[in-house]
Amino acid sequence: MLKRIRKKQPVFQLFLWVYALISLYPLVWMLFYSLKDNNEIFVTNPFGFPTHLRFENYRAAMSQFNVPQYFLNSVLVSVATVVGTIALAIMFAYSVARLRWKGKTAAQMYVVIGMFVPVQVIMIPLAILVRDFHLTNTYLSLILPYIAFNVSFASMVFYGFFRTIPNDLEESACIDGATIYQTFRIVMLPLVKPSIATMVIFVFLAAWNEFPIALMLISKETLKTLPLGLLFFQGQFTTDWGAMGAAMMIASLPTVLIYVFFSEQVEKAMTVGSAVKG
Amino acid sequence: MNRFLGNKGAIALFTLPTLLLFTVIVFWPILQVFYRSMYEWDGLTVGQFIGLDNFARMFGDRLFYTSLYNGLIFAAVLAVLQIGIGTILALTIAGTAVKGKKFLRISYFIPVVLSVTVVCQLWLAMYNGEYGLINKIFEVLGLSYRQDWLSDGKTAIYAIAIVNAWQYMGYHFALLLASARSIPEQYLEAARIDGAERWKAHWKVTIPLMAETYKFCFVLAITGGLNAFANMYIMTSGGPGTETYTLTYMMYRSAFRVGEYGYGSASAAFLVIECLIVTFAINKLIARERIVY
Amino acid sequence: MKKALALGMTGLMLSTALAACGSGNKENQASESAPASQPASQAAGSASAGAPAEKTKLRVYAQYSDDDTKGYYDYAVKELAKEMPNVELELEIQAQDDGQKLKTYAATGNLPDIFNTGLDQINVFRKSNNILQLDEYVDKFGFKDKMQPSTLNTLYTDDQHVYAFPYAGNEFMLIFYNKELFQQNGLEVPKTFDDLKKAVDTFKGKGITPMSIFAKEKWPDVGFYDMFATRYNTGGISALDKGTAKITDPGYKEAAQNIIDLVKAGLLAKGSTNMNYDQAAALFHEGKAAMFINGQWEIEASTKALGDKAGYMYYPASDAATYEKNKFAFSGGGTPGGFAVSANTKNKDLAAEVASLLALKYAEFKYTEKGSPIVSTKVDKPVVKAFDPMMETLAKDIPNITSTTAFAWGLSNAKFKAAIEDASQNLLSGSSYTADQFIEDVAAGLK
Repeated sequence: MLKRIRKKQPVFQLFLWVYALISLYPLVWMLFYSLKDNNEIFVTNPFGFPTHLRFENYRAAMSQFNVPQYFLNSVLVSVATVVGTIALAIMFAYSVARLRWKGKTAAQMYVVIGMFVPVQVIMIPLAILVRDFHLTNTYLSLILPYIAFNVSFASMVFYGFFRTIPNDLEESACIDGATIYQTFRIVMLPLVKPSIATMVIFVFLAAWNEFPIALMLISKETLKTLPLGLLFFQGQFTTDWGAMGAAMMIASLPTVLIYVFFSEQVEKAMTVGSAVKG
Repeated sequence: MNRFLGNKGAIALFTLPTLLLFTVIVFWPILQVFYRSMYEWDGLTVGQFIGLDNFARMFGDRLFYTSLYNGLIFAAVLAVLQIGIGTILALTIAGTAVKGKKFLRISYFIPVVLSVTVVCQLWLAMYNGEYGLINKIFEVLGLSYRQDWLSDGKTAIYAIAIVNAWQYMGYHFALLLASARSIPEQYLEAARIDGAERWKAHWKVTIPLMAETYKFCFVLAITGGLNAFANMYIMTSGGPGTETYTLTYMMYRSAFRVGEYGYGSASAAFLVIECLIVTFAINKLIARERIVY
Repeated sequence: MKKALALGMTGLMLSTALAACGSGNKENQASESAPASQPASQAAGSASAGAPAEKTKLRVYAQYSDDDTKGYYDYAVKELAKEMPNVELELEIQAQDDGQKLKTYAATGNLPDIFNTGLDQINVFRKSNNILQLDEYVDKFGFKDKMQPSTLNTLYTDDQHVYAFPYAGNEFMLIFYNKELFQQNGLEVPKTFDDLKKAVDTFKGKGITPMSIFAKEKWPDVGFYDMFATRYNTGGISALDKGTAKITDPGYKEAAQNIIDLVKAGLLAKGSTNMNYDQAAALFHEGKAAMFINGQWEIEASTKALGDKAGYMYYPASDAATYEKNKFAFSGGGTPGGFAVSANTKNKDLAAEVASLLALKYAEFKYTEKGSPIVSTKVDKPVVKAFDPMMETLAKDIPNITSTTAFAWGLSNAKFKAAIEDASQNLLSGSSYTADQFIEDVAAGLK
């Protein structure tokens, strides 16, 4: 643990708190927004507390589309994506960062490409691929692309963490007679725990909020994820922004809860991690 | 040791699943993009091979330069704001006795948690020329500095970049915080010094130790900026006119609004190469040697 | 890791449980009113309760996102259940995505059986053989006889074939205005650009926004430009699209310059190019803006908000003589579009029949419930909601109309369409964009 012997700096403290408020504000704003009508949202009262609490927005949002069904689909797709991405990325990153083989730098660079390809660019080829694998309108048609897209990012993060671990850990494991698999599981994984917890959050959010691929590849009502619910509100001319706000609120709350929960895990893992190292 | 760390079976088991999935789902479609960039093609019919004509046309297209320039601005704004603020906040939270650390830490990440749609709607309201909060703040400060942030071609791209920078600052903050925390105690002397001296020490000691993470953050911010799309799609639809186009948006316009999928693929191919070069450059610029504590 | 994931799962379970509680509420609600997400199957199901269960499912891609578009679709489905109980529709909501989804569907051979589409898409799909040519069905169903004689232009494309059953009819761009605001400020309805400029100055002095337009969307921008362009060449953008006029003709540049000057003078609200319909309409409906640009379908909403204070004016021109001469040269007009059928559908005959019925029912709903006689097909049902007075006025004007052009979505050249959309929005941004740049940008789209 760090020793806390610093003096307080009021200006700096203020900055920290003001920035925190700016970051939290959208939650409040969204809550207000979800209880207003179009007129209030755009003209009379874009930022303040709603003059009249329109809970009917929530009723409208709930009745527009099958919220529990979409919710369940989102959970399923996101959890599968998280598990798949982290399992693949962590193995890959370990292999590239610490094992000794030719071409590992090239392999690393190769996978990084995934980070800078906007999905719009490869949408049609991807859709054709999904059709050719007969995955159209299945959960896998979302899960596999989500994993493939997130694995670049995740493996790069893990790579960074694996590279900061001292070499002698593996040496001593080797001397102790452990196999490489045991070393990976028992020695290495616990060390990168904080980054795993961090990546659970990142990948979960990416999958949970993903819209373009889901829009293109899912047309079956029973497979739709929450972001697709927004389609029910955005009309060619008018949009029921209040109900859309309510839908966004419904879609966002779980992510906030999951984030708060997992950031606790990150904290705990950090504490344990630094105890091991320090 | 070499045999231990060079275990072929383990390497194959660890890397092949990722490589396979990635190749099929991401790389194969990218190859298609490069292939189609040499076609005059509407995305549906057979198409005609035209060699590098699409690229020649692109290099003479004003929209291409607008898009390219906007991507660079976007990337610069993201890199400076996200990594700058992220660093200050992460190092402070990691090393300082601040009350309510946990609350602060959670708050900074909240915008990341929300979907792009929500955040864009919020900022649309903030930037609104008539009712927007930003103009109100200037008014309250007594500055007659009213702006049509998103309708003015000169400010629009910066205004949108700030939205993205603000939303995803938390990402960089979280990554940098995790990285700072994994630095062993004895190196963190810097955190105990007061005032300006402290940041000097951070600059010399702490930050270099986090080079791996910084490398990653820069790649993330800069490539994220170069291929920005969602923010302008929701906030300005590339407008006013074509003032907030990026290469991805140009690809979208060509492929779907105009029906020139081949031409769109050319801008996409250029984008992929551009990002590759940037990533390569970042890797070269930020020290490559392995950091061992 | 396992532990973390396990904990995560618990968290998820918890939130799922919360959602389950919500679902309880929802089912209660559902018993009161059928959930809107399955309007098709629900309605069709109830109608054919006793009928044999052999139903053919057809996928339909249509708008269903606000009260307006939902009204149309729900009405059509209800009617369809009466007339064709053997069909069940599976709705896919049309996304506001420049046709990206439909094109992706077409590329993967997964087009819905029936889809709502416009001319630019018809042209693309026609080339790639994704869209069914409907000529034989037009004959079979006698659809041509069901059309109003004046709207046959919305049935046939330039190759004299039919690819979609139309319903919208010939619609127009209008300049709506608030009569009361004009009177209160001693202003006549502007006939010339100078009059308009004077009105702008007067309104600005009073803190009233002279004109609102939802210029974030690009078609109103094109329509606005077209209103000016038609003062010089009544063919407007349509003439450019068809190649009967050149963008280098002086009128096109003058029209752009007129707009630039008026915008510089303060014609539009701040941030217009970033306003959606709801924002721009609110300004006009609440009497904060004196004029408003939209298609004639706005009559209903404006009348509802402003009553007889709302009216429309003829487009001003450079001088009074031109104003009079081109008074009835309207911007807008109908182009082929409506419900089309996928070339790959397994049930060609049935899908075509449903598509034609949907078009007829959409027109019927517009005529009887939305207070608009502007439809493609004849409607013989009694009107439920009477036409607004402004609509009556327009109906009287329609026979006098000398020419129409096209909305942006009715342009056949997609490249020109994209170019003029972007360029027109630039005209409205009040930036340093010049008329020369405008001409250059549009010319690039016409190359």
